[in-house]
Amino acid sequence: MIQLNRVSRSFGDLLAVDQFSIGIPRGEIFGLLGPNGAGKSTLISLISGQLLPTSGSVLVNGLPPVSIAAKRQMGIAPQSLAVYEELSARDNLEFFGRLYGLNGAGLKSSCVKVLEFVGLSDRAADRVEHYSGGMKRRLNLAIALLHEPQVLLLDEPTVGVDPQSRNRLFESILALKAQGKTIVYTTHYMEEAEKLCDRVAIVEQGKLLALDSVDRLIRQHGGESLLSWSSAGVEQSIKTADPLSEIQRLLATGCDMSELSLARPNLEQVFLNLTGRHLRD
Amino acid sequence: MGVLMAMVVKDLKLLFRDKVTLFFIFGFPLLFAAFFGSIFSSGSSGSGMSVAVADLDQTTTSQLFVQSMDELDELRVERVEEAQARELTRKGKKTAYIILPKGFGQAYGSLFSGTPPEVIIGVDPSRKAEAGMLQGVMMKLGVKRFEQAFSNTDAMMDQLDMSLAALQDNPDMPADWKNLLNDYLPQMKQLVEQDGITSANDPGEPNDESTTDTSEGIGDALMPLKLLQEDVLVEKDGPTNAYSITMPQGMFWAIMGVVMGFGVALVQEKAQGTMTRLVVAPISRLQILGGKALGCFLALVLVLGVFFVLARVVFGVPIDYPQKVLFAVLSVATLFVGIMMFLAAIGKTERGMASVGWAVMMVFAMFGGGMIPLFAMPAWMISISNFSPVKWAILMFEGATWREFSYAEMLIPCSLMLVLGVVLFLAGSRLLRLES
Repeated sequence: MIQLNRVSRSFGDLLAVDQFSIGIPRGEIFGLLGPNGAGKSTLISLISGQLLPTSGSVLVNGLPPVSIAAKRQMGIAPQSLAVYEELSARDNLEFFGRLYGLNGAGLKSSCVKVLEFVGLSDRAADRVEHYSGGMKRRLNLAIALLHEPQVLLLDEPTVGVDPQSRNRLFESILALKAQGKTIVYTTHYMEEAEKLCDRVAIVEQGKLLALDSVDRLIRQHGGESLLSWSSAGVEQSIKTADPLSEIQRLLATGCDMSELSLARPNLEQVFLNLTGRHLRD
Repeated sequence: MGVLMAMVVKDLKLLFRDKVTLFFIFGFPLLFAAFFGSIFSSGSSGSGMSVAVADLDQTTTSQLFVQSMDELDELRVERVEEAQARELTRKGKKTAYIILPKGFGQAYGSLFSGTPPEVIIGVDPSRKAEAGMLQGVMMKLGVKRFEQAFSNTDAMMDQLDMSLAALQDNPDMPADWKNLLNDYLPQMKQLVEQDGITSANDPGEPNDESTTDTSEGIGDALMPLKLLQEDVLVEKDGPTNAYSITMPQGMFWAIMGVVMGFGVALVQEKAQGTMTRLVVAPISRLQILGGKALGCFLALVLVLGVFFVLARVVFGVPIDYPQKVLFAVLSVATLFVGIMMFLAAIGKTERGMASVGWAVMMVFAMFGGGMIPLFAMPAWMISISNFSPVKWAILMFEGATWREFSYAEMLIPCSLMLVLGVVLFLAGSRLLRLES
């Protein structure tokens, strides 16, 4: 369980996180969605104990994140590729494993397990500098998983990743959820949040704008769906909050509908409606 | 301890896998030391002992003796005037001087005159090992006069005539010995006249004790040579082996390579994000920084150790006091670990660390003897050099080798380096932000 209670963090005059309160239950994939510079990485730093809040409190399983006990329960895959490129994947894993008290046969078996999990077993002895961007991201995730943490903090884990590696990462994350891990996932890609997250917090300028499941967010803030059809060769469309009722109504009036299409609102629309800006602005 | 060792092993792997850094730690400093060492090398290094010879006798015998010295592989002879011979040795340009005084030729030919030929030698006191060798070489040459006399009938007859004449003229010889030789030499002459000499006698090895024996008496008469050793007051400013100067200078460049390598790697960890992993790992800040410091310290000790071994084995730099060298290495390594940490703290970024690091270290090098040898600096520069830790480092390396500092002389500068290293490490640790 992760609990942020009225957390603020400023850097000089810049207020990066403003009165942020959330609770993340065990076993949930929690998305932090917002454009670059919204404060998502600062929130990850606050949860992982890299930064202390200017005000408010952060607790991870009831412990302050700077405590050794809390640190042992967390694994982080930072946004930057936090790996030593001159070392092999195995060397990287063994080094970071030792920092978490792993050694000997236990360390070796953990390395084998995570390498297999992210699909890098056959390249374990290669220097990381020879890896593709996607492979480096997978290694980044493997290091975070090495000590089998209960809480995973994944900061933009798909940046610069090819579609194939991205799908592989998604599969890995869903498998981790199935193992009961709590995952905090930051992204500025709405598709990822929609696909992976149980709940999503929409963040803008350090503020929490909305927090709920994807469906509820869309329902509450997405606006109306766009219903389009062709009738007697004429293209027509209508915005509606209840597309099914609208279709039934049109059919009842004897409307000859063909090439029917429905465009539902998405998180992009939610963000636009909430902020007046696009996610990638 | 496991965490610290993991940090150390990882950092050493990273350091030694970077080919450019490796070149600046080993390649460049060795090239520097070897190149300038070979340039600065005077006649004192290389094969054969370099000696200045003054022949005051100027007889055929003395000239042949000098020529026979010249023909030996063990010696490289330069014929000079007496004053110049002494001056060259005093200045450290020559290992020793050899003076053949007047009367050398006559004494050389008189086997039984009671006066062996005298040779004056003076050896650079810092070349003690070579002094013994020089005496041996001279005695070997001296023995040849016996070989020559006893291997030729005519020469032996001349020798006996000359010795009988000299015997009568020698008032210092005890009467008993004079009587004995007056009986013995004519009988020997008769025998040589009758039978001739068919084979050369082996005069045997020279007696080492005679080389410095200046006592009066008949024992001197059968000496190959009488070596009169003079004390030499050395006025030279530097060591005899040029590599004794250039290797410590090279070591500074190696230290700089390690310091820059670790400093840049430290700030690089922040930029790359690996520092984030270290910060969120269940280890303390002290362990993170301690691991870095220990890695740097061990790398410095390792690299300096390699350089001292190379200095001794490859370049022949005399290292008579390994304990002092170890003391100096540990102190210098501590100091530069502190400097590394402080530079990384104020440099903050890779570019900042590189800029600040090179700027600071180059100034230290310029005024500290990293470029111009300390002994060759003008007085004003030596005053400034006292503020450069590079000078302290080089001075300690030189002090532990050719300057022959005592432990008392090394204690204060080494203690200062240790204290300053710790202070800079603590200051740097406090200033350094690990969080990105």
